[in-house]
Amino acid sequence: MSSYFTRAKDDLAYNERVFVEGRGHFVDDIIKPGALHMSIVRSPYARAKILSIKGGMSSKDLGARMASVGEGAMEGKNSVIQPVFATGYVNYVGEAVAAVFADDRYKSEDLLDSVEVEYEPVKPVVSIEDALSSPPIHQGLKSNIISEGWRGKEFPDPASPIVLEDVFMNRRIATNPIEPRGIVADYDGKVLSVWISTQSVHSIKEGLCEALGLGPDAVRVMQADTGGAFGSKGGLYPEYVIASFAAMKYRRPVKWIETRMEHLSSTSHGRGAKGIVKIFAERSGKITGLKGEVIVDAGAYGAGMGEFASRFIATMMTGPYMIENAHVKSTSVLTNKVTLGPYRGAGRPEASFFIERMVDKLADELKVDPVDLRILNSSESKFRSPLGMEIDAAKPFLDQAVKELDYRRKAKSTHNIGFSFFVLVPAFAPGETARVKVDGGKVSVWLGGNSHGQAHEVFVRKLVNEELGVPENLITLYRGDTGMLKDGVGSWGSRSAMVGGAAVISACRKMKEEVITKFGKYSVQSLLSGAFDVYVNEEQKGSLNSFGANLATVDIGKLGSVKVRECAAYYDVGRALNMDMVIGQIQGGMAQGIGQTLHEEMAFNEDGQLLTASISDAGVPLAEDIPNFEVKVAQNPSRLPHGAKGLGESPTIGVPTALARAIEKASGKRIRETPIRPEHIL
Amino acid sequence: MENVKIRSRVNGKDIESEVEPRKLLVHYIREDLGLTGTHVGCDTSNCGACTVLVDGKAVKSCTMLAVQANGREITTIEGLSRQGKLHPIQEAFLEKHGLQCGYCTSGMIMTSFWLLRKNRNPTEEEIRKNLSGNLCRCTGYQSIVDSITYASKLMKADETEKEGIMVEQ
Ligand code: FES
Ligand code: FES
Repeated sequence: MSSYFTRAKDDLAYNERVFVEGRGHFVDDIIKPGALHMSIVRSPYARAKILSIKGGMSSKDLGARMASVGEGAMEGKNSVIQPVFATGYVNYVGEAVAAVFADDRYKSEDLLDSVEVEYEPVKPVVSIEDALSSPPIHQGLKSNIISEGWRGKEFPDPASPIVLEDVFMNRRIATNPIEPRGIVADYDGKVLSVWISTQSVHSIKEGLCEALGLGPDAVRVMQADTGGAFGSKGGLYPEYVIASFAAMKYRRPVKWIETRMEHLSSTSHGRGAKGIVKIFAERSGKITGLKGEVIVDAGAYGAGMGEFASRFIATMMTGPYMIENAHVKSTSVLTNKVTLGPYRGAGRPEASFFIERMVDKLADELKVDPVDLRILNSSESKFRSPLGMEIDAAKPFLDQAVKELDYRRKAKSTHNIGFSFFVLVPAFAPGETARVKVDGGKVSVWLGGNSHGQAHEVFVRKLVNEELGVPENLITLYRGDTGMLKDGVGSWGSRSAMVGGAAVISACRKMKEEVITKFGKYSVQSLLSGAFDVYVNEEQKGSLNSFGANLATVDIGKLGSVKVRECAAYYDVGRALNMDMVIGQIQGGMAQGIGQTLHEEMAFNEDGQLLTASISDAGVPLAEDIPNFEVKVAQNPSRLPHGAKGLGESPTIGVPTALARAIEKASGKRIRETPIRPEHIL
Repeated sequence: MENVKIRSRVNGKDIESEVEPRKLLVHYIREDLGLTGTHVGCDTSNCGACTVLVDGKAVKSCTMLAVQANGREITTIEGLSRQGKLHPIQEAFLEKHGLQCGYCTSGMIMTSFWLLRKNRNPTEEEIRKNLSGNLCRCTGYQSIVDSITYASKLMKADETEKEGIMVEQ
């Protein structure tokens, strides 16, 4: 391969400047001499029996099964674990059936045609309702239900005069980071080296070891610059196992880069949850009980978020409110669609949508202000919800939010207004790992969870500087690398600044003690003159809360098009480690909240074929679709040493509910699902 | 199919290559020239991550064949800074945090370059309209709009400075 331009490819530090100069190190930028390019033959059917496969690498060459790792991972007894290559049957459009390899991407794509697969199509199970009424999609199961349970205790219906019931749906959406997934795998006879776009090198390593039966010393996973993820890059996918296997088999580097079409069909979707909610209330507006059911469309296989999500959503169904009785059933069902995964919020936005919609409905029933109703049902002190959530005192924050968002005045001047209130419970447990190393007068840091756009390097430099007094320009955060940090969790669930930050602080404090032991007292000079290397696994138990509120106003056009006039946020972010980064996270998340509410959906027809097959059909918002946001923050420190709280998912929780209410007011039509289409409001 | 010889000027250098006739310009730029700052984000010409300048105009390099670049002048993100000094648009994106993951950034900057060449003083609305071919999933666009507005100011300041120097000379 000729190259007229050479660039250093060895710089593994996070660095914002490289991106404006086009010098990032994304996985597709890694060019290995002699590499094979991999392309995947994918199922054109949502459900079919595989009669024969001629050509390519397929399940007869690699009979491995996937491993459940990353966010929402579980080893449920009844779960149906996906085979790496479809085996016997295909169960969603886009499922990997075979793989081909060639010297470049054009040639490997040409080779796709050389693989002949004979299918016998079977009627697929596409909707949640179908799943509940149809025989199981996999042999050996009793039904399509892969997880089922209850949260809270059964209680007799309260003698309250108001009883309201409704059914809601958050349709599936694609995460759509602008960089699709990708991997480069290389094997030297001893160690499989993997470069990958990911939220957690540790999950990927664990998954590859399990799926391929390799020991921990035989795999090293390194993070490339990661061009967004939003939940979809935390776990293992079939292509990673196949590329790794092929690199070992052919003893050549193997590269696979997802196309957008593959992303839409074969990367986990998010949301896909239905909520059936009944609330009991007094005439005063006090909610006395909640009964409900959550049903999640888990897709074709289990052992991941799809199986876990229904229970997680059920746990959060009372939102931030003080509701004494609650009992919620959770069910996840199999359908012939790509497996469900986390998408920014991962269950939190769904739960919030269900409860917030009911509170607004109750306000309409009682003809009272919906914000007054929220205040009435909020607690002055902390409490444990009947579904098992630990919630801090909610009312003081809510009172403040009403003022900060100027709700009272705005509600007088505009009818088309929505206000939402929520509590974010981030992925606090089990904590996170960090390694801090001092050598040659410089500080190097590795974190268990890695940045995919959140600028972890900014808070790491700040915290190390605060703890050790080292100037920020001598501190470098390196990208995830299992060769440099032996274990870790990952970046998801609004956790990094919180638990990653706490781990960095703990490592710094340990190092300070080591300096004192060695030199008698601590000074930056003695630290930097020495060589130190500290690893910590900073465990966290229990949970933390972040409260938030949003306000939205809209106009509706003649054809049912929604114009978001105003979209404002007031979030408790704990101590902000860097205000610019906090604001950036909030703005980006708010745009995603608008996307889910107005534009985004992964729609399927009755044959299980994807109808939204381009990034624009999938509804990723354009600059024109998004207003300027008004963002305000409260900084009530958490109990962690640096006071940080979870933040990243707040906007995708709070925006859809505020916006749905504003649209409901403007249209006079009850809003029950996202995305909200013109036909719902005309 | 037989390779075809093409000649073009890329970031100020004359380059001669042999390419497969079916090769997309974006793959030629990334893989043959090693200029990996230009990215690929879709297969339906929606995302704009691949935007470069062809004869000074912003073009999605996934919509052109490499052979169509024959005799043309191409500028990629790598060609924007001069002797290690960032272009004002690049500076503005850093200053106003017009990026998070950095994947859409090259395309955003190249589109901004073209926009600011056509319109020195774009309003927010004009900026948002002109970004309709560039997707960003991270920032919510607000910081990108701010970056472009700020870049237009920096570029004006630059010009005034240059004019000042000319007058003095
Ligand atoms: S890669 Fe060219 S527009 Fe998306
Ligand atoms: S910064 Fe990530 S896509 Fe724009």
